[in-house]
Amino acid sequence: MYTQLQPQDIEIFTEALTHYFLASTGEPAAIRSAYLLNTGGPVLWNDFNGLIEISGEYQGSVCFSAPRGLLSHVLLKMGESVFSDERHGDIVGEIANTLSGRARRHFGEGLGISPPQLLDYSLTTYEPTAHNTPYAIPLRWHGYEANLVVHLQPT
Amino acid sequence: MKPSTKPISMLIVDDSMVIRNRIARLVANPQLPAINICGLAGNGEIAVQMARENRPDLVTMDLTMPHMDGEACIESLADFLPDAQILVVSALSDKATALRAIRKGAHGFLHKPFTDTELLDSLLELIG
Repeated sequence: MYTQLQPQDIEIFTEALTHYFLASTGEPAAIRSAYLLNTGGPVLWNDFNGLIEISGEYQGSVCFSAPRGLLSHVLLKMGESVFSDERHGDIVGEIANTLSGRARRHFGEGLGISPPQLLDYSLTTYEPTAHNTPYAIPLRWHGYEANLVVHLQPT
Repeated sequence: MKPSTKPISMLIVDDSMVIRNRIARLVANPQLPAINICGLAGNGEIAVQMARENRPDLVTMDLTMPHMDGEACIESLADFLPDAQILVVSALSDKATALRAIRKGAHGFLHKPFTDTELLDSLLELIG
């Protein structure tokens, strides 16, 4: 039996998503209720998947998964004029990093955060390091669906 | 920072190209004094090398980066560029991290995600 995160732990990621879209783009995202996923590891739904590995007092990952269109709009809002695969990969990783970093407000510095890595949908062989059930937090922004997958367990 | 007619020399350190570009665009804002960007670095190692070559007056510094992280980079810069003003721009939101960065030589801390106004205000505060 592995320890599950508590509702207040998940709430911090929901709040981080709300804050991210408002502060970065000036436009709020519609964040829906988090739910438990039955599959292990990061779940890849979308074109770009930015993954942060978690270490220290927790192990696991935080993965932001988004379609190209959503990320193009975020890039545009940030003043970018280049919309290459590289820039889309950069921003999906930066979003995952920013959401994880904000969670340290709640979890403290014991939540060790790696630099972001981009998971390739077809080539990924990522092995999850947490063994409990991950949460997905779905959101809608500019008509696009994206997900944050939080897979954390205390060490 | 002492008043000067010379443009302020600035180094931007962040592993995200999108964030480096955004900061570079924002420092051209007319609310700020003239700032000359002397380098854009994607990790701490490159930042130290660029700082040795260009000796910036002002540095924006991410913390979570590959190769050399921001804390190690701040320590190194504070050693050979003690007068450089360092603004940490990071997502890491716990108090302990901010205090440690300040102890190692940073002069300000701006949390990501930031608005344009928040970055301009932080830079103005640092430039004085």
